[in-house]
Amino acid sequence: MYQILLVIRFLTTRIMPIIAVLAVALCVTLVIVVVSVMTGFLDMLRDSGKRLVGDVIVHMPVVGFPYYRELIADIEALDEAEAATPVIENYGLLQMPYGPGGAGTTEQVQVWAIEPESLAKVLDYHRLIYWKAPTESEAAVLAQDDPRLDPGYDRWPAAMAMQRGGSEKPGAILGIEISPFNHRERDGSYRTHDHSRSAQDRAHWMPQYEVRLTVVPNSSTGAADKEVRAQLDIVNEFQTGVFQIDSHRIFIPLGFGQELFGMDEAPRYSLNEVGPDGSPKRIGSVPSRVTTILVKGAPGVSPEDLRNAVKAAFLRFESLKADDPEAARMPRGVEILTWEERMRDLIGPVEKERGLMQILFSLVYIVCAGLVLAIFWSIVHEKTRDIGVLRSVGASRSGILAIFLAYGLSVGVVGSVVGFGLASLIIHYINEIHTAIGQPAPLLLWASVFVLCGGAVIGAILSILRDSALFTLLWSVIAIILAGVAVLLMLHKGVLIWDPSVYYFSRIPNHVDMTNALSTMGFAVLFSVIGAAVPAARAADTDPVRSLRYE
Amino acid sequence: MSSSTPILVANRLSKTYHMGRVTVPVLREASIEVERGEWVAVVGLSGSGKSTLLHLLGGLDRPDRQPGRTAPNQRGGTIHFESTCVTDLGAAGLNRYRAHSVGFVFQFYHLLPELTVLENAMLPAMTGRTPLAWLNADASRAKAKRLLDRFGLGHRLKHRPNELSGGERQRTAIARALVNGPKVLLADEPTGNLDAKTGGEILEVIRELHGEGLTILMVTHDSSIASMADRVVRIADGRIVAE
Ligand SMILES: Nc1ncnc2c1ncn2[C@@H]1O[C@H](COP(=O)(O)OP(=O)(O)O)[C@@H](O)[C@H]1O
Ligand SMILES: [Mg+2]
Repeated sequence: MYQILLVIRFLTTRIMPIIAVLAVALCVTLVIVVVSVMTGFLDMLRDSGKRLVGDVIVHMPVVGFPYYRELIADIEALDEAEAATPVIENYGLLQMPYGPGGAGTTEQVQVWAIEPESLAKVLDYHRLIYWKAPTESEAAVLAQDDPRLDPGYDRWPAAMAMQRGGSEKPGAILGIEISPFNHRERDGSYRTHDHSRSAQDRAHWMPQYEVRLTVVPNSSTGAADKEVRAQLDIVNEFQTGVFQIDSHRIFIPLGFGQELFGMDEAPRYSLNEVGPDGSPKRIGSVPSRVTTILVKGAPGVSPEDLRNAVKAAFLRFESLKADDPEAARMPRGVEILTWEERMRDLIGPVEKERGLMQILFSLVYIVCAGLVLAIFWSIVHEKTRDIGVLRSVGASRSGILAIFLAYGLSVGVVGSVVGFGLASLIIHYINEIHTAIGQPAPLLLWASVFVLCGGAVIGAILSILRDSALFTLLWSVIAIILAGVAVLLMLHKGVLIWDPSVYYFSRIPNHVDMTNALSTMGFAVLFSVIGAAVPAARAADTDPVRSLRYE
Repeated sequence: MSSSTPILVANRLSKTYHMGRVTVPVLREASIEVERGEWVAVVGLSGSGKSTLLHLLGGLDRPDRQPGRTAPNQRGGTIHFESTCVTDLGAAGLNRYRAHSVGFVFQFYHLLPELTVLENAMLPAMTGRTPLAWLNADASRAKAKRLLDRFGLGHRLKHRPNELSGGERQRTAIARALVNGPKVLLADEPTGNLDAKTGGEILEVIRELHGEGLTILMVTHDSSIASMADRVVRIADGRIVAE
């Protein structure tokens, strides 16, 4: 009982415990902010990963597999699956409509041949497409000079048809980071102009140009053929938010892609029979192929359950085709993966990075415990006589131990609550803070710091006149610090720590990771108590007589 | 005014301090008997061991232990409080003894600076086992208030020790010593840090308490103060002799 009273009084009437509380609070803030941002980043990455491939993918690189329409019908008939869409994934070289001397720069790209209607059932195709008219609510938050506000930039119908109206050529949709003329603004939107030109200058807007795509087709056995070229209209651009995809992927129509890569339906000839005209006899046809099927799960079905169901369906389908002498062979080694397994190489490193951060920042707890230990050591030292007094009026050793343990506990609890509050505030405003750091300091700010510095100089001069060495020193130090801050602010031209090309996303995640925050607070409390334990034990061991003789 | 049952008996107490290789024998088989309701003054030169004696009697320290010897007269002495052998008490027993049987008053008051006057005075009542202390909180608060009122501190209850004069601080310390209703008050130079007038006021308080039957053992080196007591003993060469 007296312990509670003393802890409250110790906490509220001394400066040392406030320093201890601040130390704990800062440690807690640091860990919560860093890990929350990392976790938010990971969540965003996973979210967009899922947005990109649906829930489960059936995948056979390069050669692909036939009878995909039947397989899709089988998959869609599953209770676990909602929709599925065929895709060809391959690589190509893209000759851009710009470059030195009009020759056109060549980019290496990943080509996705898609079918927009069915793709739109598996993932949010509309959301991916960049050049479309914004809805009213979207329009309200767009910047004044955003080109999408101009109906002339709406190319949604062309993205759906994958063809420019009135053109014979197939359409291509480019990742928005492929063209270097697409400038990303701070709000994550794009401008298609040289910074030297006006905002509405359409000279570098991609969906009015053509590109040339060069690919190397392969036969059903996987052998490479002679390369083929095709001219395509750019009909739109897309944005996934993942920089590596936005800078390397293009969409083309599925049917055209099959022709291009030699995966379309082709006649099959006999090896020993000869037809009426003397050439090998035609005995049927090789069915068209795709490399990939993207599957979306029914609501509430986990990707793992969906994957297992699709796997079972695929095996049934495969054995059915193996029994059919007329059917073409299904290739071996078709992979069926959840989106998470498929995106492993993208998500894995970030997860590892977060783990590393968590371990590194665990050191902060030890620093925290060390600080509490040092501060409590001096508090116990200062309180030696009072401990003797308490012992002389009947307080037990365990009672004294309890005081300082409870004291450490309170410092830990108060510190972590304050730290949590501070961290929530910082995380909530992290984008604003980042933007502010990214801009030159306003004139008013650094000018007023200079004025304050002048005030401190006057204070120092007055202190000299009054013969006060302490205040002269204090004012001089304050003046020097303020001068330094003012000069730094004046020279500060703005830095962007969150480089979108490194971190994929344009906004820093601003949600507190509650599990992490709670465990951080728990550890801070624990380590505060551990830090307080040694001085507390020393306090309990204090010889009452010796400490009472202190004066 | 002696009665037949002594309340506090110290028998052949020895206390030796060790400072590195040097041993300082402070008490050598010192014995004293204090009768119930008696006021005894302990005098002696500075450094003669007066405080040491009081600390031993108050259970703050233990007499010498001599390994291997178990007979009481060979151990460093015994202290009896009524029927309890204080020198045989364990840690918990000693804590209770300090809290309830004796009250201590120090030369330098030794109040806790963070606590108010009232809280300081209540401190010994709060150190006991928690549940009981909670139950008795109101009772001990009332007791502490009564004592402080009586010592003229009724208007100072919410003040901090550093806002009080020396005399007021010492009166708070006396209230603290008495809050658990001990039978013996141990006062170590209670006026040593006060001017003559304020010291006189404190002695007046002690005289009143004595009049109410409290047993008092008071250390002083001022013979005029000592003369107010029923009996004066002197510590010299580690022994207690009648004056
Ligand atoms: N912890 C200690 N270590 C060594 N010597 C001590 C210690 N405490 C007291 N002394 C010595 O014991 C002697 C008696 O001290 P004390 O009882 O305070 O005397 P008094 O109260 O009569 O002035 C003094 O010489 C003092 O220096
Ligand atoms: Mg003394």
